[in-house]
Parts: sequence; structure tokens; C-alpha cells
Amino acid sequence: MDLEMVSYLSRLGKLSFTDEELKKTAEEMTSIIEIMDTIKEIDVEYNAFADNKNVYLNNLREDASEASMPTEKILQNAVNSKNCFVVPKVVE
Amino acid sequence: MDITKLKIRDMRTLLDSGEISVSELTHSYIDRIKKYDGSVKSYITVTEEHALESAEAAQKKIKAGNASPLCGIPMAIKDNICTDGIKTTCASKMLENFVPPYNATVMEKLNEQNIVMLGKVSMDEFAMGGSTQTSAFAKTKNPYDLNRVPGGSSGGSAASVSASLCAGALGSDTGGSIRQPAAFCGVTGLKPTYGRVSRYGLVAFASSLDQIGPIAKDAHDCALILNAVAGYDRHDGTSSKNPAEDFTAKIGMDMKGVKIAVPKEFYGEGIDKEVADAVLKAAEAYKQMGAELIECSMPSLKYAVPAYYLISSAEASSNLSRYDGIKYGHRSEIGENFNELICNSRAEGFGSEVKRRILLGNYALSSGYYDAYYGKALALRQKISAEYDSIFEKCDMILTPTTPSVAYNADENVSDPVKMYKADICTVTVNIASLPAISTTCGYNKDDMPVGMSIIGKKFDEASIIGAADAFEKSFAYKAPEMV
Repeated sequence: MDLEMVSYLSRLGKLSFTDEELKKTAEEMTSIIEIMDTIKEIDVEYNAFADNKNVYLNNLREDASEASMPTEKILQNAVNSKNCFVVPKVVE
Repeated sequence: MDITKLKIRDMRTLLDSGEISVSELTHSYIDRIKKYDGSVKSYITVTEEHALESAEAAQKKIKAGNASPLCGIPMAIKDNICTDGIKTTCASKMLENFVPPYNATVMEKLNEQNIVMLGKVSMDEFAMGGSTQTSAFAKTKNPYDLNRVPGGSSGGSAASVSASLCAGALGSDTGGSIRQPAAFCGVTGLKPTYGRVSRYGLVAFASSLDQIGPIAKDAHDCALILNAVAGYDRHDGTSSKNPAEDFTAKIGMDMKGVKIAVPKEFYGEGIDKEVADAVLKAAEAYKQMGAELIECSMPSLKYAVPAYYLISSAEASSNLSRYDGIKYGHRSEIGENFNELICNSRAEGFGSEVKRRILLGNYALSSGYYDAYYGKALALRQKISAEYDSIFEKCDMILTPTTPSVAYNADENVSDPVKMYKADICTVTVNIASLPAISTTCGYNKDDMPVGMSIIGKKFDEASIIGAADAFEKSFAYKAPEMV
């Protein structure tokens, strides 16, 4: 995997790397992708209709409103002010 | 008598008869943690004050004759399970100061039983790893040999049970994270069927694979913990509505006529001979008990590791996108704008293994690569599940090694991600196929390190694999670590 691809993936993942870290990561990712590539040997097709057999997605609760967590609990792990999350300026 | 060495059910008898008090039991564990955890490093947070308060409440219940099966039992909880008002770090700098504003459903259930929580135990960062050496706070050691790893990611849970620093623990298993450390630390760990235990409040890694389960001294104790935490939960859309059952129902089961499949691929290339031999010896022991051994094959096993890493990393890359440094978690002090703040917070908060998984997940899901990687991995998931279905047409359970080797030295493997990934070969198919499996010790190698075997069951048939593990444990000569 080249440096350009690692930079692209890190932008997608909102990660930042120094040049040195980027180089090391590219080497590690190349070895990791080599193992992943072994699945190219086998010819199998994914059947979307046959899926969800293993994962239960149908037990959703009724779409009804109910009491939610109090604001102070939601903000307790954040930098906050006046009952709001504080973020850097987003509009110039 | 050292009461910390007892099984949970024996503690229950002594607590109910009044021979020991919950406070006495709790103090014994806290003393041991103070004495030994400096070297084992299984706990990230010890909640001594909370434990002593819980002990008092539990004692009142016992005195009133209202004790539930785990009332007053001192337990450790993996640090990716949310505990209201108590730090839950996921062993990551990202969540170093995170205090959940709610309890995971499993914690609500354990609290209803009046357990005594001794603290939160270490793990690989965000449950990504098999050594507990990626923990940002406590790189746990193996109680059998402090130079070796305890396995992972639930290494703190397994090591704390093994060293008698708690009576039982909860772990989580995405690709073997309960079973592999249980095998390395010579204890018993159970990964339930997907959907059996609610994931609400478990910090998400790979949502279609994650499952919470017990680690304890033996299968019977695991069943008691599973009894407490299993069941439908409306907060988890993937939680099963299968009725709750008594998982101790098959304790003492007769193995006569039970059909045990032995898939040849699990005993061949890449598996240490001493491990394969110990598990095959256990298979012979089952045969002596009257079980029937059936040879079988799982041809797709060689593709299981890549399929698992592609699916789990794809899901992780999405699940971990919630850590932005704004709502909770580490917030960088450097960041002129919104994007910079998020990138810097994530770069500083996540360790290198977590970053690699995010990159791999993004690669598998990105345009131009999706079909070749993620799509193919989903197809393999179906193929591996179908191969299990076919094997289960001919047998009741499947016997495999839990790990390719015994616990290795802390300076081996852990810096080579490829070696680490390949070591998951024996456990990942169980998560891929949503099955239950239990690992228990079946032997010791020449250095007296434990060897683990896994018994894989049909979906929602935890009771049978618990029964089979118990049948083996009853005749097995267990060796405790020296510190115990």
C-alpha cells in the first residue's frame, strides 16, 4: 500500500500521521493486505437475500417517545457551556 | 481456608449459612488485589469503597433470606462495559476520563443480583488484540508466568480470575476475546450465542460479532453468571427473544452417546503439536466417557482470519467514528478548526493498533475495493456458517483447540500485527457463525503453561457445551498458578 493510499484512508478516518508514522503504517498495511488478499483465491458470491440469518435485526422496539437522559448527564464528559457542547468556530 | 480460592457456588453455601460474611469475602479479595495486582496488573480501576458499600447491601439481602445466586459474590468487569458513575476507559487514552452516565444492561442485571463489583479490568485497547499489551493503562501479565501475556482482549478478566483476584468476571468476545485469554490463563470462558446477552452499554467494536460472556474458575460458575446476564433486552435490537433458561441444567450430564465432531483443519498446519496432542487426548477422554467422535472437515477455515478482520475492521471503522473529542473522550488542545480538532483528538487518543483497524476498515469499504474485500468477506461468512450447519447435522458439538500455542512471552508477536492476526485462527469462525463456545483447560505443556480446548455448540445450546465442559473438568487434574 503506497503513501498516497494511506493518506487517503487516514483522511477518511479523520486521523493525522507524521511523515514517519505514515511510512511505517504503509509498510504494516502492506503486510496486512497481503493476508486479506488470500480471499481472492476463492470464488464465492454473497447472497444478500439469505443474510440476516445470523444477525437478529427484527427486534426493534416501538417507535414511541420516552424520557431521555438529563442534559447535565449528557454533557458531563464534554467541554460545555450554558447547556451546550463547545466547538471551534465553524462559520467564518 | 483461603476463601478466595472457592468456586462461586461454594461461596454461596458459606454466605447463606453465615459461616462467612460478604464483608469478610470482599476484604479477602481486596487484600489479595493489594498484594498481587502490582505484578499481575489486571485491574485498571479498583472500586474498593463501592465494593464495601455493595457488600453491606448484599449482607442485608442474605440476612433477610432474599439472596439471589450471585448475591455478595465479588466480581471484576471488563473496562468496555459501561458502569454508571465509574470510569470506563476501554484501556484507551481516548476514554481515559470517561464516566458513563448509565449502566450497561448486564450491569443492571448483576446489580439486581447484588454482586460486589471489585473494579474494572484491563483489556486490549477497544478490545482489539489478543495480548492485553495494547492497553494504555495496565499491560496485564499471565499469572502462570509473569513474563508471558495473559491473552486478550479480555486479559484482565481472565488473569484476575486465574490469580483469584475476583470470583468471576465479565469479558467480551468479538473474535475469541473471552476464550483465548481463558485458555492462556487456565480458566473457563464462555462466548454465548450472538443475541443471547444484551450488548447495550458494551462499547461497540464490531456490532455483528461482539458478545458479552463470563469467565470463571469452571463451567458451572460460568453458567451461574450467564444465568444472571442472559435474556432479551429492548435496548438492543439484535437481542434474541429466545426464552431465558437455566444454563446449569446439564451440569453432571452423561456423555454417553453424545456426538463430538473433530474438524481436521483445526489440528494441522499452524497449530503447535503440544496443543493439538492435548486436545486430542481430551477427545479420547470423552470417548472413554461414552461419547462418539466424528471426523469432519471445514475447508474454508483458511479464509476465516481475513474474512473476520475485514468484517470486524469495517464495522470498527464505522463504530469508532463517534470519537470526535467533542461529545466525550479525549479532546486535543491543538485545533484551529473543527476538522483539525477531530483529527488531532483521534490521533492523540487512539493507539496504533486501533488506527490500523480503522484504516483497514476504510480500505475494505472504500469505493473500488468494497466488492473485492468487504463483499467477499460477507460471502465467506455465509460459507463458513453453512459449513458449520452441515457439520452440526451429524454431531451435537465440535471440539477444537482454543489457541494455536500456549501463552507466549510479552516481547514476542505483539509488535507484529500479521502474526497476531493469524493467531486468531481457532476462535474467529465461532463469531462469524454467531455460535456459542466454551474454552476450558485440557492440559499443561512442558513448562506447565495451560492448554485450552473449545467446545462449540449449536445456536442457543449453551447448556450442552457447559455440561460437556463440566464433565471433562470433573476428572481433570487442575493446577493453579503458584501465586494461588
